[in-house]
Amino acid sequence: MKFNRTALKIAWRESRASAGKFLFVIFAVAVGVGSLTGVRGFSQALATMLLREARTLMAADVSVRLLAVPTPEQLKVVASFDQRGAQSTRVTETLSMVSSRNAENPAFVSVKAVDPAVYPFYGAVKFDPPASLAATLTGETTAVSGDLLIRLKVGIGDSIRVGGVDFKIAAIVTGEPDRLISGPAVGPRVLLSREGLARTELIRLGSRAPQRILLKVPASIPLPQMVEELKKSFPDDQVSDYKQANQNVTRSLDFATSFLSLISLIALIVGGVGVATAMHAHLKQKMDSIAIMKSIGARSSQVVRIYVIQTLMLGLAGGILGVVIGSGVQHLFPAILQKYFQVKADIPLLPASALQGIVAGLLTTLLFTLPPLLSIQKIKPGVIFRRDMPDAKTGWRERLRDGRGAALSGLLIVVGLGALAVWLIGGASREEALRIGSIFTGGLLASLLLLAGAAWILLRLLRLFVAVTPWKLPSTLRHGIANLYRPGSQAESILTSLGIGVMFTLTVYLVQHSMLSEITAGAPPGMSNVFLLDITEEQRPRIAEMLSKQPGLEKTPELLATVSSRMVSIDGVPMENYQVNGKPRRFAGRRILTSADALPVGMTITQGTWWKHPKAGEDWVSVSDWIARALNLHIGSKIEWLAFGKPLRATVTSIHRIDPHRISSRIDFILTPQALQGLPTVYYGAVRMKPDSVAALQRTAYEQFPTVTVLNMADIIERVQEVVNQVAFVIRFISLFAILAGATILASSVAGTRFRRVREVVIFKTLGATRGRIVKIFSAEFLILGTVAGLMGSLLAIAFSMVVMKQLIKVDYRFSPLPILIAIALTALIAAAAGWLASFRILGQKPLEVLRGE
Amino acid sequence: MIDVRGLTKVIDTGTHRVDILKGIDFSVPKGQFVAIMGSSGSGKSTLLGLVAGLDSASSGEIWLDGEEITKLPEDKLAVLRGRKIGFVFQSYQLIPTLTAEENVLLPYELVGGNGDGPARAKQLLDEVGLSDRRDHYPVQLSGGEQQRVALARAFMVRPAILLADEPTGNLDSANGRHVLDLLLSLNAQQGTTLVLVTHDQQLASHAARIITLQDGRVIEDWMKREDVMK
Ligand SMILES: Nc1ncnc2c1ncn2[C@@H]1O[C@H](COP(=O)(O)OP(=O)(O)OP(=O)(O)O)[C@@H](O)[C@H]1O
Ligand SMILES: [Mg+2]
Repeated sequence: MKFNRTALKIAWRESRASAGKFLFVIFAVAVGVGSLTGVRGFSQALATMLLREARTLMAADVSVRLLAVPTPEQLKVVASFDQRGAQSTRVTETLSMVSSRNAENPAFVSVKAVDPAVYPFYGAVKFDPPASLAATLTGETTAVSGDLLIRLKVGIGDSIRVGGVDFKIAAIVTGEPDRLISGPAVGPRVLLSREGLARTELIRLGSRAPQRILLKVPASIPLPQMVEELKKSFPDDQVSDYKQANQNVTRSLDFATSFLSLISLIALIVGGVGVATAMHAHLKQKMDSIAIMKSIGARSSQVVRIYVIQTLMLGLAGGILGVVIGSGVQHLFPAILQKYFQVKADIPLLPASALQGIVAGLLTTLLFTLPPLLSIQKIKPGVIFRRDMPDAKTGWRERLRDGRGAALSGLLIVVGLGALAVWLIGGASREEALRIGSIFTGGLLASLLLLAGAAWILLRLLRLFVAVTPWKLPSTLRHGIANLYRPGSQAESILTSLGIGVMFTLTVYLVQHSMLSEITAGAPPGMSNVFLLDITEEQRPRIAEMLSKQPGLEKTPELLATVSSRMVSIDGVPMENYQVNGKPRRFAGRRILTSADALPVGMTITQGTWWKHPKAGEDWVSVSDWIARALNLHIGSKIEWLAFGKPLRATVTSIHRIDPHRISSRIDFILTPQALQGLPTVYYGAVRMKPDSVAALQRTAYEQFPTVTVLNMADIIERVQEVVNQVAFVIRFISLFAILAGATILASSVAGTRFRRVREVVIFKTLGATRGRIVKIFSAEFLILGTVAGLMGSLLAIAFSMVVMKQLIKVDYRFSPLPILIAIALTALIAAAAGWLASFRILGQKPLEVLRGE
Repeated sequence: MIDVRGLTKVIDTGTHRVDILKGIDFSVPKGQFVAIMGSSGSGKSTLLGLVAGLDSASSGEIWLDGEEITKLPEDKLAVLRGRKIGFVFQSYQLIPTLTAEENVLLPYELVGGNGDGPARAKQLLDEVGLSDRRDHYPVQLSGGEQQRVALARAFMVRPAILLADEPTGNLDSANGRHVLDLLLSLNAQQGTTLVLVTHDQQLASHAARIITLQDGRVIEDWMKREDVMK
């Protein structure tokens, strides 16, 4: 059509003429698109890298994760693969204590022992200074992560003591290929050769020693076949190939991506609100042009076309600028996450993520401009004759029609945003995406409506207050407040959009802090706060003695005997065939058995009775209510296990329940002590002591029993805290974009009222007002806007945090005023900054210039 | 050509009610040049706006070329205006973001015309004496020049009816004369029906007929002798 070119021309020229105002709008959209593109770009780059380096992530083709030392038969199976051309190596990972001569306290570390000759099959271990693994690691040397050097006050060339044996530090480890799948780092890394590990006494029969057997498979053996065979030989262990491992990592990545995408979407929506308000104001200014066009024969659809083009131009410009911002955000991510994952996704922004960002930006922009665009239809050509005419009283019929139009565009916005959310969540399950998408959209809508309502009420209250207050307010403040009600001030949408940003950022902060304070509030009285791992039978009496002599002890230490076993049958039915409620239950995993004379503190018997005098020759077991339900066990059930090749049978005589606040580990099977006699037993100790005595215990224990790991709850809490902080930081970082978008909208609306402001400034100046006075008036206006937005956002954030804490973490939200006050003050400052950014040019105007230009 | 029957316009602002037009009847044959006169506030602009379908009547009928327009929906009206009516406002009303030539061309593009549009736009601008100001934007033109562009625009689609609301009201006498000459020559050449609202006795004297309004009613309908004879 001929008109399209003209429409484009008008759209372009109008935008250029209103460039100042529209630049802010473009930036508001760009902020949202930027955070979205950044999140998705990073995730896609990471996924691409994971896919490309899937084998590297596992350092092998196949891995068997063992929970105990493999049996000779199992080793034979692995050896048979080696004969067929495969290569295998073992990696042991365990927690331990290490010490140095320079540091007073031993450090808690995660030890990893590998065979330098073959490990890793894919990828490489990186050292500082650069060196090869084989050259670095011998039986006498170790490589450690940088943080341990600081902790133990040592350097390269010094010695540290691991498991009672000295090792010389040969290098700093800076990267391991399989770090991502070996779980989050718990404590500094100590890398040993297998030979080195053997010199220590860390691994003994029955001790908790997670190991992986890594295999490199030649082309002659099909991967699935090998996995199948291994699964048969290692029924209790996790056998997976590199593709599965990659899938697992990818799945968590997808989850994180969806979550962060939704938060970015909020920023985008705030930007959308900005576009809508700017467009609304713009159309109001263009009423005349529109009426003229209509009076010389333009149909509404033709006029709408002009403004759809304009909206698309704004959206597209915002999208493109957003992609530029996004690629910056993408490159920030690895730096933010560096401490926890060695991710190097230094891939440039992929076209797919860029496109996604632009499409999302365009869609949101269009959706939100729907109401103003639809109002074009209502502009009558007669406007040219008469201004601001409420042409006759609007009848109920007309009002109903208008209401229907508004409802329709509202519905379209909701549905459109919902669809956008579902699209961004993506993932395998459409239902799940739909569910989350609708919760998200519903929640967002509710908060938007709530905020808009609150803004409306607050603005009216403020006006009322100024009108009736008996105090004499400073005139600058009165003028500032009056500015909020000037035509085209858009105070309500500014408050709403800024408020929503504050709400999200603050909610994340409040939840994070309540969660952390809950964790760090410490173990409730009576609960153990220090745990001793891997105590052997012969160490047990000496450890008990050592513990009883420790100062600061608050409770008799508990020593729990454990034997690892496999469940074989229940009531004579082999586990392979065992069914619960008609469904087969393969509960053939490893089971930790324990024994006790007396009912441990923190447990209650719910059925049956606890034994007083166990009969010789007959073994009894108390099972937890959880496992009883899962396996349909009842009093009198007979269970059979296999432990270290020996069968073990016991009858259920009671069912117990564990008070989770008093016992942290789940103890599913407690047997009479005689039942476990003669089996390799490992003891776990649990101690409750004064926090400042823990270091002393760690020192003493380490001196006497270097192979025993003393776990301080406080250390673990610290790790959890670090992870929570990290996650919260990323979320907050992304939700900050919403605040930025909100501030941009404020700037854009200030820019939109620029002409009015210029005139006002000029009139003030001609009347003799100083620059300082005008600054004060404007500042009052922006600060009030920011304060009110901060207040509203904070109130909603508190409400949200309460709900989230109750629902998700089942903990009460604890109110603390400081972060909220800081949030309000910061919002006020941001608002003032944004307002000034958009209006500082106004101040410099010379009165005559403006008046002549009239 | 134009047939107005029992036309009224009432505005109810809620607080008070204004009867602007209180029943107007007249008809204008094809090719006639009519001037509408009357004191300020008598309802001239309102009447002209209604005839152009720019506003909605409270009651009565308006027939243009055999078609009743008061009940037509907005978009139909727009198309009708685009095809049949040229409108010239007292205050020019050019689109500020389009150049003189683009403004003239706009009605043609709106009806999706294909053919001699651009050439005709140039020719019209030539006729109103603005061929050298083609690429200027409205703000760069004087009032008289803007009004001439508006005239050219009104003639762009060769409308059967040209409605003009005080087209010379804001111009000095020389410019006013120029605009009037243009109107007359177009009326003579193309047989366009011309309805002109004016306060200017001198201008009205060129009309074949003068309808005078007062307080929303026609109080006088004067015709030149030779026309009455016809
Ligand atoms: N929206 C409105 N609300 C109330 N009164 C109105 C409205 N529009 C027009 N009027 C009144 O209707 C009357 C006629 O207006 P109109 O513009 O048609 O007058 P006019 O004859 O063109 O006057 P002028 O010669 O000054 O242009 C005037 O008294 C005007 O005040
Ligand atoms: Mg008038």
